[in-house]
Amino acid sequence: MTSLFDAAVTASDAGEGRIAIKLRVNGQEREVSIDPRMTLLDYLRDVLHLTGTKKGCDHGQCGACTIHINGRRMNSCLALAAAHAGDEITTIEGLGTPGRLHPMQAAFLENDAYQCGYCTSGQIMSAVALLSEPCGASDDDVREFMSGNICRCGAYPNIIRAIQQVRRDQQKDAAPQPAGA
Amino acid sequence: MQTFDLVRASDRPAAIAAGAESATAQQGASVRFLAGGTTLIDLMKLGVERPERVVDINRLGLDEIRKAENGDLFVGATARNSDLAHHPLVRADYAALSQAILAGASTQLRNAATTAGNLLQRTRCMYFRDLASACNKRKPGSGCPAIAGANRMLAILGTSNACIANNPSDMAVAMLAYDAVVHVQGVAGGRQIPLADFYVLPGQRPDIETMLAPGELITHVTLPPPKTGERSVYLKLRDRASYEFALVSTAVAVTLADGKIANARFALGGVGARPWRVRKAEDVLRGSAPDERAFRNAADTCLDGARPQSHNGFKIELAKRCIVHAFKQVTS
Amino acid sequence: MAQPQAAITQIGQARARIDGPLKVTGTARFTSDHNLPGMLYAVPVGATIAKGRVTAIDIARARQMPGVRAIMKRGDFPPMSHITPNFVEPLMADETRPPFDDDVIRYYGQYVALAVADTFEQAKAAADAVTVSYAAETPNVDPHLAAENTKVVSERGDAEKAYAGAAVTLDAQYAIAPETHNPIETHATVANWDGDELTLYETSQAVVNHRNVLADMLGLPRHKVRVIAKFIGSGFGGKLWPWSQSPLAAAASIKLGQPVKLVLSRPMMFHAVGHRPRIEQRVRLGATRDGKLVSLQHDYVNTTSILDDYEENCGEATPHMYSVPNLRVTSGLAKRNIGTPTSMRGPGAVPGLFATESAMDELAVKLGMDPLQLHLLNEPRLDEGLGVPFSSRHLKECLTLGAEKFGWSNRDPHVGAMKRDGMILGWGMAACSWLAARLDCSVSVELRQDGTARVASASQDIGTGTYTVMAQMAAEMLGIAVERVEVEIGDTKLPPGAVSGGSMLTASLVAPTEEAIAAAGKALIARLVAGENTPFSGAEPQTLAFKQGRIMAKDAQTSMPFAAALQTLQIASISGQGTGQGTFGAQRPKLSSHSFGAHFVEVTWRPEIARLRASRVVSVFDAGRILNPLAARNQIEGAIVMGIGMALLEGTEYDAASGAPINANLADYVVATNADVPALDVHFVEYPDYNLNALGARGVGEIGLAGAAAALTNAVYHATGIRVRELPLKLEDLL
Repeated sequence: MTSLFDAAVTASDAGEGRIAIKLRVNGQEREVSIDPRMTLLDYLRDVLHLTGTKKGCDHGQCGACTIHINGRRMNSCLALAAAHAGDEITTIEGLGTPGRLHPMQAAFLENDAYQCGYCTSGQIMSAVALLSEPCGASDDDVREFMSGNICRCGAYPNIIRAIQQVRRDQQKDAAPQPAGA
Repeated sequence: MQTFDLVRASDRPAAIAAGAESATAQQGASVRFLAGGTTLIDLMKLGVERPERVVDINRLGLDEIRKAENGDLFVGATARNSDLAHHPLVRADYAALSQAILAGASTQLRNAATTAGNLLQRTRCMYFRDLASACNKRKPGSGCPAIAGANRMLAILGTSNACIANNPSDMAVAMLAYDAVVHVQGVAGGRQIPLADFYVLPGQRPDIETMLAPGELITHVTLPPPKTGERSVYLKLRDRASYEFALVSTAVAVTLADGKIANARFALGGVGARPWRVRKAEDVLRGSAPDERAFRNAADTCLDGARPQSHNGFKIELAKRCIVHAFKQVTS
Repeated sequence: MAQPQAAITQIGQARARIDGPLKVTGTARFTSDHNLPGMLYAVPVGATIAKGRVTAIDIARARQMPGVRAIMKRGDFPPMSHITPNFVEPLMADETRPPFDDDVIRYYGQYVALAVADTFEQAKAAADAVTVSYAAETPNVDPHLAAENTKVVSERGDAEKAYAGAAVTLDAQYAIAPETHNPIETHATVANWDGDELTLYETSQAVVNHRNVLADMLGLPRHKVRVIAKFIGSGFGGKLWPWSQSPLAAAASIKLGQPVKLVLSRPMMFHAVGHRPRIEQRVRLGATRDGKLVSLQHDYVNTTSILDDYEENCGEATPHMYSVPNLRVTSGLAKRNIGTPTSMRGPGAVPGLFATESAMDELAVKLGMDPLQLHLLNEPRLDEGLGVPFSSRHLKECLTLGAEKFGWSNRDPHVGAMKRDGMILGWGMAACSWLAARLDCSVSVELRQDGTARVASASQDIGTGTYTVMAQMAAEMLGIAVERVEVEIGDTKLPPGAVSGGSMLTASLVAPTEEAIAAAGKALIARLVAGENTPFSGAEPQTLAFKQGRIMAKDAQTSMPFAAALQTLQIASISGQGTGQGTFGAQRPKLSSHSFGAHFVEVTWRPEIARLRASRVVSVFDAGRILNPLAARNQIEGAIVMGIGMALLEGTEYDAASGAPINANLADYVVATNADVPALDVHFVEYPDYNLNALGARGVGEIGLAGAAAALTNAVYHATGIRVRELPLKLEDLL
């Protein structure tokens, strides 16, 4: 069958004004030449094809793009990739794989702490970061610390269950072992 | 987003020299300093900010938080909001500042956002952020659709007939109550600007928001030493329980002596064209018993002259309740 | 209908989702995660007026920008066809006008051009550089509604006369602000035209419908269009029917001969992908002094767009909810310069129940009666609207069990009388209902020699757990472990499935899965009988049966699992297909099929700082057999979260002058965060509804939102004495 449309394709002009940088993503050094406008989020998704990190609002209003930069959680949509040369980036792909889940990923699975799964990478990256943040012990404390990640499916109760389960397990592991154990 | 040069400043003079090439440090600046990016990148995506050059100032060693020799709290311009909020000195001596920062945004944003960036964050007025709308702040003389439009969130104090935008910062409200001073360096040297004088009211030029001149780089902010026996609190009221800008907020700091108020300082957020502090309202409290009547008096004085818009008249009463409750909390 | 014959093993088990490992590791691929070789990025340009005409589009500057491949506008591709919707094919679209169809602007954000470039950054910059000139007119986005035409939806007795003669009456008006679905995954299309066939990776709750609409709109044979949606970042109805971005991306791919990715920005989610319209409702109740309803009148009007008539069926639940001899329900529309509305979670019944359940609470106050008692007193014995029995209605049990778990009997009815920790408590309740029905749906099953099975259907999982529940169903019917079932959905190359909407998919899948398995079993029996050296060689086929995954002689002396049978026959696999008939929209049903439930809500109110929070929720549902309690409870909890948003937070605000949805982002259109949600206590009374399907299952996607907002605002009244009749509640209303 013939095309519905006349083919009118013109050559593009790419490459102008790009910046060469080195980034470390999930422990791997990446050397790239990128458009200075490109956010870390779009760099991860469009260039590295690490699509686990999601775009929900592109303006720091939903948390779906949460990653770790030098060990701290941030919104990758509000970070210019080129400004993070030399930084250590960790994404959901750097946390675990379907066959080797991080304890937080396992807890999300066990507690059904998601529905559609779209905000989940960001939720988990926040939840993992929370473990080393000065967050209080109560459910309410965790709710506040997790409020930068919108879950429109509303799986919040199960997200809290998953995080508190991991925190309890961590405390057990950290507790001194009884003699002879 | 239009394209731009991204440069990493090698040192402060280089950053300042780059900044000085812009004709203005206000709306429409052609050179912008990039710190946490949570305001700048956001506004560049919206097209509200269109710098030709972006100067990364993240590696200039401006992120220190320490006690200065004179007892002041020294807060570096690029100290992250999270680090400031959780710093032991801040938690111990400037509780309202810690609370204010933690009441703002989300952990992710606070991990990126900086002291100077927070002071320079822009209004959340929906028309300012929408390029298709007229806005006197973006383009003086183009008009203000907020006055006849969606203004529930906007200011009731310090507005003009050209602009009713509010300053959205939580951190700045606490800093204002603590008498913070902004330290800037420019081509011609450094200067110190009390935070109370740092912001400019909109008048007919709402595009001019601060005292900053082209090239002037905020290096740090200082807070005077804590007053002995002073207790402080930050109270923020909003529709959503978290991750939302204030309808009304207040930072309150009180010293009691012999059951009377020896000294009170307080500032309001969410309601003013800039973080709002009224010295006269604090004077009202000095020497009076810490009771509801006194607090209400102070609140009335503070809100004196408030000019409600079509959808935000409730903010007057809400602000008063916020003030009274914060004072009660801190004096109980 | 037949009762299940074997012991339940897989059904009713709380089990983690089979697709969970992909979701928690970021490896589940959603539409915008597809990056195809040579793919271009497209960014639409939306109108910045809400009414008028495009007079010129200047693309000169944009066209010369780096990386730009095309700036497309009206006339740059052949006109597309309008859609005349019908549910049978299915061929559904709420916005029936194809993009770029004319120069008339009827709502803010209507697409007028499309920038296509090598990268997203380049395409966005180019879209921003397109200059559009308009002849603008004053738009009508007036929130005050008057019906332009009214129709009677349901009527019995003489409601007006009975109302006039009633001892106690209530007449109240309720309004709901427009709500926008805002799934965190924005609508997206990755279109790939290979010169002959069009493949669309699509954010779709209904892939078959999407294929039909896109093929018809573009003038392509339907078999030349394939729609794939393996993972959908939720939809809530917003992704049920196609919207204009999809044909735009397709047209760009066809024109440029390269794959094109088009991902809507968050603001665009407020423009041209539907929303729950603004609704105004009036409810008039008449009752005896004892609280027996004698008259119910429910009149409502919703906004719709200039070109399309979208009706929010607010009276869906009204005729069967209460026992009342005289009833009249009418609906009307009001046209506005706003994009076409669409179904949003619990369309019709959810806003309708906000009004009727608020009115019941108001009536209870007037009667000096406990609202729980008022509900119990007016519980019907049959569907008085249809005049037929309910297939299964256990609302009374939901009400009484919920009341017990909540501690409702401790409620002091006086406003503001209950306190805790210095806060005023408000306790409110509401009942709810949501339809239960099936849709036409086909499923194929492949039984394999290794003892595994594959079930497939062009249905979708929008986060509701379809992957897992299909595996559970097949495992149950085949007597194998869930882990041995592979599920494939979300692709139009599979047998045509049902839409993920109306909470109907789960119920729709049961019969065709059963039939497909039976068909595979029958085929297997035929092979075994015909084969040499099989245990059943030469047997009469009718003496054999296929049950629980085993071939067995009806005398039950010999049986053999399908894997062994396939091994004996030395064939790799055997397949069967099944098709289930829908019941949705049936004109004269013999039974009234609905789910029911009750919410009990506590709010805390601190007048000194005007702080209102939901602090406790107990909800009980009669939703048939629950196939996976873990996923089902999650669905309900999520719906209650949305109910908190609906009651307290959400509303799209249209600027009166420009017609723009001015709060079109997630900072200004606020939805509930984690901190807004208290502990939720969800229960099910499990009465399998075998009239609906052999497993007795109904869906649970929507029922949790029904009644939730009313329960909250009823609690607000109990705390504050202020009756909230317009959503969302604004705290200034409580000052």
